[in-house]
Amino acid sequence: MQTSLPTSSSSSARPEMKEHCSHSADCLKMIQLILDGEATEQELARVKANLESCKPCIEMYHLEKEVKELLTKRIEKRCCPEQLVATIKSRILSFS
Amino acid sequence: MSDTPTRDDRDRTGGPAEPDQFLPEGDSIEQPSEDTPARRYTEEQKYQVFNKEFMPHIDSMYNFAFRLTMDEDDANDLVQDTYLKAFRFISSFEQGTNAKAWLFRILKNSFINDYRKKSKEPAKVDYQDVETTYNSEDAESEHTVDLRAESVSDLIGDEVANALNSLPVDFRTVIILCDIEGFTYEEMAKILDIPIGTVRSRLHRARNLLKEKLRDYASSMGYKEENEE
Repeated sequence: MQTSLPTSSSSSARPEMKEHCSHSADCLKMIQLILDGEATEQELARVKANLESCKPCIEMYHLEKEVKELLTKRIEKRCCPEQLVATIKSRILSFS
Repeated sequence: MSDTPTRDDRDRTGGPAEPDQFLPEGDSIEQPSEDTPARRYTEEQKYQVFNKEFMPHIDSMYNFAFRLTMDEDDANDLVQDTYLKAFRFISSFEQGTNAKAWLFRILKNSFINDYRKKSKEPAKVDYQDVETTYNSEDAESEHTVDLRAESVSDLIGDEVANALNSLPVDFRTVIILCDIEGFTYEEMAKILDIPIGTVRSRLHRARNLLKEKLRDYASSMGYKEENEE
């Protein structure tokens, strides 16, 4: 008897799902705190409850998570050239 | 040999893990001021600290420098200058504390003081302007960018990097520090010399800008946003 919502997010699709969020700007800030690992236990609990019932917030959560992952995983990490490491080490030695 | 760094209680704000440290602030500080904790490392200890605590971060430092300057030669110079400065000011570093944050702070200050001025590319949007523009809006009316996760999930690294590079440098910086280097807000506040609240709001704005850029890329690539309404 569950209404299956056409949501791409895998998690719970509940009948009382909110279609609109009246404080999405604040929710977004909170979602970012969570994804950054900076939310307090209290904030975490509050957002978690909200994330189970608010469709726009769930979507925001997925977007923020995706963007963060794009940054961490897809952008190439440049390594320091060996030559530079050698230069720094030799310049340090000539200091004192 | 057993010359442990002196700990000065006046200089400590938080717990033992995060002592307040004195960092080179550009070229103005040539010698440690009087209340700089005196850590008299022997020459041997200096090299030890340098190799053990500073060198392991060189790849992260280079990556940061490259993302800031967007130029390999500039990144080279910036990293080299930073490490030489770090060695010169090594007495203001307390062993066992957050070397990475300490180094990042020096690099970021060097970038602002030396590189931004003589940057090859014409100054893009100045952060001051952007911040003013953004601050002029009601803080509560901050928008959320209309974009779906699926629309950006197919973007490739270069597109994401370009979107990031197109942000004003101060916004770019917070995203690099947080999302690419994984610093905490508290560490970022120290690296950037701004309050944590500013870290949070700047990061928030930076991400909104980034999402707008990503949306532009996504739509120009033909990924359509589906609106089922």
